[in-house]
Amino acid sequence: MPETVTKQITLTVDGKSVTVPDGTTVLQACEKAQSPVPFYCYHPGLSIAGNCRICLVEIQGSPKLQIACYTPATNGMVVNTTSDNTLKGRKDVLEFLLINHPLDCPVCDQAGECWLQDYYMQHGLYDPRFNEQKTKKPKAVPLGPTVMLDAERCILCSRCVRFTDEITKTGEFGIFNRGHHSEIGLHPDKTLDNNYSGNVVDICPVGALTDRDFRFKCRVWYLGATNSVCTGCSRGCNTVIHNNRERDWRPHIAEGARVMRVKPRHNPDVNQWWMCDEGRYGYKFIDNNRLTAVQSREQGATREVKWEEALQRLIAMLQRLRYSNQMDQAGVILSSHLTNEDLYAAVKVFKALGLSNVVFQRPKPGKSDALLLQADKSPNTRGAQALGISEGAQGLLERAAKKQLKLLWVFTQDLTQIFDAELVRQAAQNVELLVFQGTNTNPTSEWAHLVLPCAVYAEKDGTFTNFQGRVQRVNAVFAPMGEAKADWEILQTVSRSLKLDVTLSDAPAIFSLIAKEYPAFAGLTYDRVGEQGAMLQGEQGKA
Amino acid sequence: MSQSQSQSCALSAYDPKILEPLRAEAEAIVAKYEQKRAATLPILRLVQEKLGYITPQAEEWVGLIVGVAPSHVHEVVTFYTLYNQQPVGKYHIQVCQNIACALQGAEACISAISEKLGIKPGETSPDGKFTLSTVECLCACEAGPAMQVNDRYVGPVTPDTIDLLLKDPESLPELDTLFRGAVNMVEAVLSKRFTMRDSETIETYIRDDGYQASRKAYSQMTPQQVIDEVSKSNLRGLGGAGFPAGKKWSFIPKESAKPKFVVVNADEGEPGTLKDRYLITKDPHRLIEGIMIAAYAVGAHKAYVYIRGEYARPAEILQKAIDDAYKYGFLGPSAFNTGFALDIIVHRGAGAYICGEESALLESLEGKKGFPRLRPPFPAISGLFASPTLINNVETLACVPTILAKGGEWFAKLGHEKTGGTRLYSVSGHVTKPGVYEASQSIKLRELIEAAGGVREGRRLKAVIPGGISAKILKAEEADVAMEFDALRNAGTMAGSAGVIVMDDTTCMVQALWYASKFFAHESCGQCSPCREGTGWIFKIVDRIIKGQGKQQDLDALLGIATNMEGRTICVFADAAAWPVQSYITKFKEEFEYHIRAKRCDLGQRFGKSQRMSPRAAPAEPATETVES
Repeated sequence: MPETVTKQITLTVDGKSVTVPDGTTVLQACEKAQSPVPFYCYHPGLSIAGNCRICLVEIQGSPKLQIACYTPATNGMVVNTTSDNTLKGRKDVLEFLLINHPLDCPVCDQAGECWLQDYYMQHGLYDPRFNEQKTKKPKAVPLGPTVMLDAERCILCSRCVRFTDEITKTGEFGIFNRGHHSEIGLHPDKTLDNNYSGNVVDICPVGALTDRDFRFKCRVWYLGATNSVCTGCSRGCNTVIHNNRERDWRPHIAEGARVMRVKPRHNPDVNQWWMCDEGRYGYKFIDNNRLTAVQSREQGATREVKWEEALQRLIAMLQRLRYSNQMDQAGVILSSHLTNEDLYAAVKVFKALGLSNVVFQRPKPGKSDALLLQADKSPNTRGAQALGISEGAQGLLERAAKKQLKLLWVFTQDLTQIFDAELVRQAAQNVELLVFQGTNTNPTSEWAHLVLPCAVYAEKDGTFTNFQGRVQRVNAVFAPMGEAKADWEILQTVSRSLKLDVTLSDAPAIFSLIAKEYPAFAGLTYDRVGEQGAMLQGEQGKA
Repeated sequence: MSQSQSQSCALSAYDPKILEPLRAEAEAIVAKYEQKRAATLPILRLVQEKLGYITPQAEEWVGLIVGVAPSHVHEVVTFYTLYNQQPVGKYHIQVCQNIACALQGAEACISAISEKLGIKPGETSPDGKFTLSTVECLCACEAGPAMQVNDRYVGPVTPDTIDLLLKDPESLPELDTLFRGAVNMVEAVLSKRFTMRDSETIETYIRDDGYQASRKAYSQMTPQQVIDEVSKSNLRGLGGAGFPAGKKWSFIPKESAKPKFVVVNADEGEPGTLKDRYLITKDPHRLIEGIMIAAYAVGAHKAYVYIRGEYARPAEILQKAIDDAYKYGFLGPSAFNTGFALDIIVHRGAGAYICGEESALLESLEGKKGFPRLRPPFPAISGLFASPTLINNVETLACVPTILAKGGEWFAKLGHEKTGGTRLYSVSGHVTKPGVYEASQSIKLRELIEAAGGVREGRRLKAVIPGGISAKILKAEEADVAMEFDALRNAGTMAGSAGVIVMDDTTCMVQALWYASKFFAHESCGQCSPCREGTGWIFKIVDRIIKGQGKQQDLDALLGIATNMEGRTICVFADAAAWPVQSYITKFKEEFEYHIRAKRCDLGQRFGKSQRMSPRAAPAEPATETVES
């Protein structure tokens, strides 16, 4: 199909000239002109409702204020977002929205990120004059396992209705009754339980729909925000991790947990504005059941040891195998949960060691759907493939079970979730040294002779390559827990002790090495990957 | 827990197989429409006729048939007044509590029925025989106080009526029309056949030269010629907006990839208005012929008549007339053997004033809540099922056969300046002869009131609403204005639906505003913030003033709220809701100030839960000196 050039039009917003493609709305043009207009019902990922009316602006030639979200920008249009008429219209709409709104701020999770609060401070600041009984509606209604409804707080913007109609196409939400008795809710027999229910909390501008997982957990002004990527599946939805910044002074919040919640971040090519519930609520492993101490197990007795002692034991085994030419009796099962940097470090170190039985294993496939969910429940299968690591640990496990391996070094995964538990147990029992290098306790780690605690993705810098071939960055939110270290750091220590010719200084440096050595990664740097990711060479970048 | 949630607990054992026998009929309904979802309202009515009310499981069943999530069926059930979510008694007594009926004793009527039955509005008698509800305008204002018992319109309600209701409700007579005649006219035009016997039958219509105008249009005129004739007539939309009909007809694109539709707005709902009910009941073939001509002019082969749900008997009469028109070949594949096909479907609403707004009507026809649409696009380009649609009021279309028969110029001359033709004026309230009058649009309001017998013996005219409750009120001294669109606009009000509500000096204007603001709060669709919140707020303030708890700043607040709603919303409902507030308070300011200051009505009424407004046929009640609270 021949490329058609979209006609460009020029209009004036608050005296500033701005050029936009024909078809742009006034609201979008105002954003581009850096004269943003407030809005509730508008959402770039949903259809236009035009019901909140707070985006009313003055357009020269129109006797009435017009809603910016629906009015198409035209050539020569003159828009004023700060005229007296506009500001009055805005303030009046805000007043209407607030008259029946309950004074819940002290007990409402939305406080601090509530659009009624925010716009009131920017555009309201009037003396209230509503002296009547506010309309009563249901409060604290659980809609399902993830979302809590407070119908009084709802401003009836219909974002949630449009989301469940247009995005998940499950149609749970409706606005019932009419007039000032209008009420958001579900059909009496239904619950909100689709794969994306948590998104309605994101899009609700007020505290009508709140997250049950986050309920009363932490005030939002205590939250730090770090850009990251979800590791729940191979899509790698872009996220923001919100942690409790006040943890040292307020250790009582959420019993001292670090991560308070995870929210999606907009990426038009990966996840648009959404993320699935599995990923959204699957962050608990960052703080719970962590491996925080280095452990050494001998004759059934487990001791907590220092890193040096544990690594000494491991290195001794490696050296023994190396010098007796028995490296073929060592096996490494990497994981597609590891970052590109971790995997590269492993590849280099094991190559230098002459250890060739290196595979990566991906988790058992899970639920997928037409929207975001991928069956591959790990973030970096493409990365492992791009780095040339072969896949599949069945063979190694069988050899281990048959006493053909002396050393088995397992990264990250609980192999009993993927393979027959008996096989894994046999493998564990029939190798001399089973090393488990991972983040959380699990049956596999329980059998290991050496347990090396690792940093989770939120505790290190690194990159993952999603199923589309998009390289995306994760950023360390906080330091690793307890004795945990990043996988590549552990490998670096092993490498140094063995005097291997491998230099691994930090994550960005490792990435540069990857870019130099692997044509798929050619030209990429952390800067180029940025916050929205960058494609491997030769990839199309489709969603 | 919401009402419907607690109900579903009680019904968890309900067996949806009870609905399966209805499936064939439901599928037949679906087949009438171009989109499945449009069958939602009629199928819900079918379910309610069988079950008496709509359960959540029934909503799911309907949703599966029309292809819509249950939540959206539940939206429809909770939006429209006529759908019951709980069982109702054998006889559902729905008493009008809007302004025109109130002027004629609706409150006394409600109290009397409540007392006799031993139940309050909203309740059902223990034997399950009666449920009592108060409803908004039934558009039976000439027979106020009026009520609807199941499908039957009954009025004026007298003590005898109430006795009959209790003893033998089946024999309650259906309200007939009260046509009073053509005023200052040599010959009636629209109402010519209203007083004839069997005027609604096709036989008498044909006898009276019916279906000749459409024959002329189909056989001798081009569509453009038809449009030109209508433009010449200066016919303006008689639903209320007064938009030039010929111009509207010319907006429909000549060529269209999508099929075109004619939609008839028979959702008469503006308090004070009765005329469309008269046209449909007394001269339905005139309407059918008007539809035929309009369809021909714009190239539509399918027409829908959206008639308000409460008009059960008129819908029956219209359907019979349509069936007869099919039998005679006027409707169907080829009228007058010209090959022009036209089908007309009657689609009943379910109780929502906002569905009289043209885009809300289309939404409702498509099976959704009556939420007005964002414009553009307008119906002419994207209307019903996103197709080019001509939507006109009943009376507007009823004028068309005469325009073609007698010529556009003739029709224009009957009118006043830029507006052509006559109108059917609905007169109610404090007049001795309420009913429908036909007159040229040059008639003065004062003349019209006089023709309606003027105010009652010993009373003085105080105020008049000239065009339905949305219209700004006129004081008695302002009644020398022609009842025409431009003249009334220049007088600071509007012609609207020509619903004339007359108030004499026994009327409390604060109470009048109470009825008006209650109506708008009840009928707001709730889609956009200023109207949803504003109408509720206004009613709460006025209610507080009525209860004797008014504050000095309330009047400024009311005026401010009204102004803040105007011009800021998706449709003009908010403006309409603002106008009574603005005009009553401005023109009768002292009365409002007195109410707030003295906490009583200077007409001698004390405040309490049951206010009265000049009861007329009040059953054995003394004058309103002492009012129980």
